Amino acid sequence: MATTSNLTTASDVLSTHIFSILNSVSEQFHKLPGSAIFLRYVKSSYQNDPVRSAVELFLVLFAIRYLLARSYSTKPGKVRLTEEEIDDLVDEWQPEPLVGKNTIFEDADLEKRAVIVGPTGPKCRLQTGRTVTNLASYNFYNLVSNEQLKERAIQTLRTYGVGPCGPPGFYGTQDVHMKIEADIAAFLGTTACIIYAQAFSAASSVIPAFSKRGDIIVADKAVNYSIRKGLQISRSQVRWYEHGDMADLERVLARVQKEQAAKKQLTRRFIVTEGLFENTGDMVDLPKIIELKLKYKFRLILDESWSFGVLGRTGRGVTEHQHVDAAEVDMIIGSMAGPLTAAGGFCAGSDEVVEHQRLSAAAYTFSAALPAMSAVTASETLTMLQTQPDMITSLRENTRVMWQQLDPRSDWMTCTSVPENPIMMMVFKADVINSKRLSLEDQTLLIQDIVDECLAQGVLVTRAKALSAAASGAKSDVYTHRPALKICLTNGLSKKEVEKAGTTVRHAITKIVTKKK
Amino acid sequence: MTSHTTLHRTISFTPDAKLAPPENSSMSSTTKTGRRRRSSSIIYQEPPETVEQISDQAVNPNLNSQWVNAKGAWTIHPVIIIGLKIFFDIIPGVTQEISWTLTNITYMTGSYLMFHWVRGVPFEFNAGAYDHLNMWEQIDNGDQYTPAKKFLLTVPIVLFLLSTHYTHYDLTYFIINFLALMAVVIPKLPLAHRMRFAPFSGAPPDD
Repeated sequence: MATTSNLTTASDVLSTHIFSILNSVSEQFHKLPGSAIFLRYVKSSYQNDPVRSAVELFLVLFAIRYLLARSYSTKPGKVRLTEEEIDDLVDEWQPEPLVGKNTIFEDADLEKRAVIVGPTGPKCRLQTGRTVTNLASYNFYNLVSNEQLKERAIQTLRTYGVGPCGPPGFYGTQDVHMKIEADIAAFLGTTACIIYAQAFSAASSVIPAFSKRGDIIVADKAVNYSIRKGLQISRSQVRWYEHGDMADLERVLARVQKEQAAKKQLTRRFIVTEGLFENTGDMVDLPKIIELKLKYKFRLILDESWSFGVLGRTGRGVTEHQHVDAAEVDMIIGSMAGPLTAAGGFCAGSDEVVEHQRLSAAAYTFSAALPAMSAVTASETLTMLQTQPDMITSLRENTRVMWQQLDPRSDWMTCTSVPENPIMMMVFKADVINSKRLSLEDQTLLIQDIVDECLAQGVLVTRAKALSAAASGAKSDVYTHRPALKICLTNGLSKKEVEKAGTTVRHAITKIVTKKK
Repeated sequence: MTSHTTLHRTISFTPDAKLAPPENSSMSSTTKTGRRRRSSSIIYQEPPETVEQISDQAVNPNLNSQWVNAKGAWTIHPVIIIGLKIFFDIIPGVTQEISWTLTNITYMTGSYLMFHWVRGVPFEFNAGAYDHLNMWEQIDNGDQYTPAKKFLLTVPIVLFLLSTHYTHYDLTYFIINFLALMAVVIPKLPLAHRMRFAPFSGAPPDD
């Protein structure tokens, strides 16, 4: 009786308390200006429809909640650290060296590397004082010691100065650039040509200028580093086909065509390959590729860095050698730094192809133009190629002589280059690798020993060196380079000297391979 | 009660809706992009960007989405709404209710197309790094609850409340306006970030 009355009193007290709070709140609310209008509006909007009013109220509350929420980032990996954690991390940090420590192999390589004193040439002088036969420089027509070219170059240097001091699009184009562009276009048989200041960056900026994210590129697995970089920068989908395998190429092209037909898409499609491959030395089958390209409606980008100036009767490249019209190839990329012994690169094609690159090729727009001296040297070399075709025939003769000494007569190594290629890439024969169970590293070490032995005997050759796939930014190993011995022929040596050098190399190979058991 | 079966749309927002079995025939087997896309699923989440895409996005500021924070980009919304209302009022034979509803629907459709349907960037400056993101996801680099996003969410809600008021709370108009509002508000929620529902998303620009 007393407790129940206490309880009721307690609930009474509570309820009166709540009522008094509500009263004071409504009093405060009524004091606000416009509250009467607001209440009248809410009452009239109710309209006997509780669901709808509830929905509207929910919307208003949701909007208020959204407006009051705090901003946050959705990017993954953003971690907030406290001050102490930051201090700890900073204290623990040890800077990594800019260049890693050399491996033993790299150290040995550096020690034994030959250093040439003075100008390079068919016979060059080493730092050790010896004069050796130079079969390691890209000096095909012996133009490095050509006096006429030197005179012309010095004359140009005195007239034009050293560099154009600007990109070609911003007062860097000089008349010599336009002349060499016209010369190359006329020489190759295309409509127009554009010049790049560096041969390496020509391929890696032509490809992204035309092929973008979403486009499809079908590339040979053995393409060189510059092309790989271009493919990576372009952000296109890349499909690979086996090196030199036209049936595999056809299979990949058919598959791309089928996929695109199924999705009713039509993107830009390119085939990228080289005229003479830098890594293996062999040649592309150009008529077959043109046939496939026309059948499956692809465009062809042909990198003629090592075949322009080398192949064909007058040195026009693989298009002349295989009797293909140069206008059939959409873009021909070439180098004036290798066979032409000038500097820079070019891309030849139709007018639209070349004009497009003047604004959207990265190396043309954002890099300084070619120095006038190199442009004039390239023009002169082109004229020489056209007026003195016996340069090319004597180079082929020297290459043939070297082949005679090395390829069928050596028991251990074979040459993967085509006979017209003055760069001979010698690799170990398959049965030798199997019988001696040579890994790639073993082969590399053996070839390095062969190079050292040849140098000891007075012939300077070199080893083909390539970056691993990981270093070039590829996600997986598409192609593994075979370790190879590289011999670069030149016109500057007579046939007897070439024969002698070939014999030396063959004996060195035999000596090293039979020594290692 | 008017029957509104004709106005019912089967909009399912639950992520547990029937999923079509992913088909691998259209997967891209490339080494460069590494995207795994199931083009035949009804609902899927956009995968996070690859390293190449992130570095391409970081090269330039995203001009396509920066303008929402610029001067005048907020006042243009009421201006457009008033303009639409005037336009619909001018047409003879259109009552107030219809004109408010039409304004509402037009504004919602336009803003849905602009912010949620179209993907990518109309300029060619970052090699297609934003090709798979619609504009709402590009604003402020994907951050949620930023001032621009708060404003852009409030405007449709306020417009909706206005239109229900001026249509005198009639049920038919309410349903129409409410569905238009839902079509615009749901994709703006943080849980719908990078989610793609098959009938409601435009085709991606590639693959």
